[in-house]
Amino acid sequence: MKSFARMLYPYLIWIAIMILAPMLLIILYAFTKQGNSVLTLQFTLENFARFFSDSIFPNVLWRSLKIALITTVICILLGYPAAYFIAKLEGNRKSIMVLLITLPMWINMLVRTYAWRGILLNFPVSSEFKVFVGMVYNFIPFMILQIYTSLTKMDQSLLTAAEDLGANKVQTFLRVTLPLSMPGVISGITLVFLPAVSSFFIPKLLGGGDYVLVGNLIENYFISTGDWNFGSAISLIMAVIIMISMFITKKVDYENKGETRA
Amino acid sequence: MKKLKSLFSRFYLLLVLAFFYLPILYVVVFSFNDSKSLSKFTGFSLQWYEKMFANRTIMESIYYTVVIAVIATVVSTIVGTIAAIGLSKSRRIVKELTLQINNLPMMNPEIVTAIGLMLLFTSLNIKTGFMTLLLAHIAFCIPYVMLSIMPKLRQMDPNLPEAALDLGATPWQALTKVIVPEIMPGIVSGALIAFTMSFDDFVISFFTTGPGINNISIYVYSMYKRINPSINALSTIIVVMITVVLILVNVIPMIKERKLKKNEKLD
Amino acid sequence: MKNWIKLGLCGLMVVSLSGCGGSGKSDVDPQEVYGCSTLNVYNWGEYVGENVLSNFEKQYNVKINYSMFASNEEMYTKLLGGSQYDVLVPSDYMIERMIDENMLQPLDKSMIPNLANLADGVKGLSYDPDNTYSAPYFWGMVGIVYNKNNVDPADVESQGFDVLRNEKYKGHVFVYDSERDSFMMAFKALGYSMNTENEDEIQEAYQWLLDMDKKVDPSYVTDEVIDGMVTGEKDIAVVYSGDAAYILSENEDMAYWLPEEGTNLWSDAMVIPANAKCPKLANEFINYILTDDASYDNSSTVGYASSNKNVLEEMSAPGGEYDGNPAYLPRVGYAKDEVFKHNEVLKKILADLWIKVKNS
Repeated sequence: MKSFARMLYPYLIWIAIMILAPMLLIILYAFTKQGNSVLTLQFTLENFARFFSDSIFPNVLWRSLKIALITTVICILLGYPAAYFIAKLEGNRKSIMVLLITLPMWINMLVRTYAWRGILLNFPVSSEFKVFVGMVYNFIPFMILQIYTSLTKMDQSLLTAAEDLGANKVQTFLRVTLPLSMPGVISGITLVFLPAVSSFFIPKLLGGGDYVLVGNLIENYFISTGDWNFGSAISLIMAVIIMISMFITKKVDYENKGETRA
Repeated sequence: MKKLKSLFSRFYLLLVLAFFYLPILYVVVFSFNDSKSLSKFTGFSLQWYEKMFANRTIMESIYYTVVIAVIATVVSTIVGTIAAIGLSKSRRIVKELTLQINNLPMMNPEIVTAIGLMLLFTSLNIKTGFMTLLLAHIAFCIPYVMLSIMPKLRQMDPNLPEAALDLGATPWQALTKVIVPEIMPGIVSGALIAFTMSFDDFVISFFTTGPGINNISIYVYSMYKRINPSINALSTIIVVMITVVLILVNVIPMIKERKLKKNEKLD
Repeated sequence: MKNWIKLGLCGLMVVSLSGCGGSGKSDVDPQEVYGCSTLNVYNWGEYVGENVLSNFEKQYNVKINYSMFASNEEMYTKLLGGSQYDVLVPSDYMIERMIDENMLQPLDKSMIPNLANLADGVKGLSYDPDNTYSAPYFWGMVGIVYNKNNVDPADVESQGFDVLRNEKYKGHVFVYDSERDSFMMAFKALGYSMNTENEDEIQEAYQWLLDMDKKVDPSYVTDEVIDGMVTGEKDIAVVYSGDAAYILSENEDMAYWLPEEGTNLWSDAMVIPANAKCPKLANEFINYILTDDASYDNSSTVGYASSNKNVLEEMSAPGGEYDGNPAYLPRVGYAKDEVFKHNEVLKKILADLWIKVKNS
């Protein structure tokens, strides 16, 4: 069995080059002064101090996290039933539905968002509502796909067993189906929450650009200001905060699992 | 009661589809717009289709988008599946660490991954172009594939491959005959997500590509200053093409099945 | 329908075989004349006439690798990443920066006789006084577009950029989400130079913008502003003159005004990077763009003011495409109008302040 573990090794080399190495370069930038050439690196914590010295930057990060969190919650609430109903469909219809849900994502995000902008122009809704429509629209397919995947091929005998033991439909769902599909929900959260924190295009285009988000901030510092050091520091701070929150989510998941097993 | 429930589920799915296709419908309608506006329909015209087909940059970008997306999907699905299976059998600490690193490209804003990769290629003295673009796409697609497969591996009965090995199957057979079929739904959705991410990526593509190699997203974003409804025409064509493929893939087997049944009846 | 298919096939063939139609090709061997046969051009998105590139390819028997960017800074970052191009089309201040950083090579003027076609107003601007490194492509101003029916023209004409602080128009204003353009308005409204480094003046401009944010609660947008004004979503916007010309031609209710306190005169110009692989052909390309035909095609497709004086005249003359459109022709020789200068330090200060304005 352990021999299967070896299948991971080539990938470890790959991530060392393609993910870790670029990330290390970014970390290096975060801890150095601007305008340093490689030979005369000057390490500093200035970039981090700058972030926390002005309430504006933490505020921007907090707002982005909030928007991402709300988006994720809406995606779970609306996406779970959709995934559940799709999983209950018969054979061919299932795969057609899955493809139908993926298809709109093949249209460029900018084009879709422009379309929403045009559509929502005709409705008197708040700009906040527009932002969430756009965000949910863009991210919910990932949630549905992940939950659906974990619901299909679920061990049907467990469900029958639960019913045989006298559980009603609601009990079966809460005690068997839901816990079993949790890995899918967690994957879905990862796929929605992580990119949602740093997304700024949709909020900008649909929300009238009235507020700055962290993705916008980082992009600005990287591109228009050319301050890679500060941009790197912001994204590092964001990454750490997200890692902590994901860690907590996973921990909760593990604990829940322990509970159902017991 | 049961009927009511299935009625509700159908209604819900219909609503979901309506939500998904409302903007698509909007795009299709405006691809026939007489004027350049993206929010005011002034009359019917086919000019954006003609302009699109005459626009060499658009046609080239379609070509690169499809080629990159297909190769990146195939490679990242295979590599991602292998890595995910390996990961599931690894020690907890390796697993946790790898998954965290894997999440980095998803968690970082694209611009950070993009600049990181660009710096990497520059410092390795690799000229940016088709290959770097492809490598970058594979790099950011793999984590998505793995993320889709991991839950399936967690759901799988860990004794299953073991039993196969005990029954005399080779590790290769255990892998292809037992594990892969078991996690197939995860692989499929991983491949779908990988294709989607590659098809729609702008920021990373922009910074890792070289002169003359553009994908649709680079084209769309660079003209977002003076957006041009040719892009709506292009989107419409993508929708139509995918729909046709969908119909062919799904309807032909159905027709065949029906014919088969008819033949059986005749026999 | 058949034509479409033909066009489509043609397009696909271009991708795979390079070349469709093929007639009218010259028999010149570009390798012999220029030492290379592909030209890497890096330009703004949607910034070229429909047949400009293909005609050049046919005429000189070469292939153009065409790539696009959406901002000067994006393009600059891309160059930092080591990408090599033969012709770029950055804006004024960026050209100044690239000259300072030795990233450009001088044009070979003996190969570009069409420099004589340049309009006077766009020649020798401060970023490159003798056009040693750059040949203008498009140029224009930044002006105010407003809805005549909802905004009193007298307000706009008497207040200039200060109309953006007029509470009467609260909720009906688009402001460009860029520190450069926003501070330009503030500096000009206060009567200062838009390239000022004076700290008090910067603080005053910052207060001006905060005041604007409070008084009219603007929507901060980028290029959505164009479609937004065409549909009449808001009543006042500050936009580039070329975009204003388009807005005015699409929506009759809109009017255009260049503030009397002066505004930004900008120019995007063609340059050849120091590390270009095909500089000779690049010079030839620049000369070709400045011909009347290519310039006309560019200006007619994009709607921005041509750097070519003959085209400029033809477009705005009676019966021309932009006859009677006040936004097409740039304002020339107005002392209070300025060109942006490159200033890294100032730019960073303004960028930080701008984030605060938007977040206030």
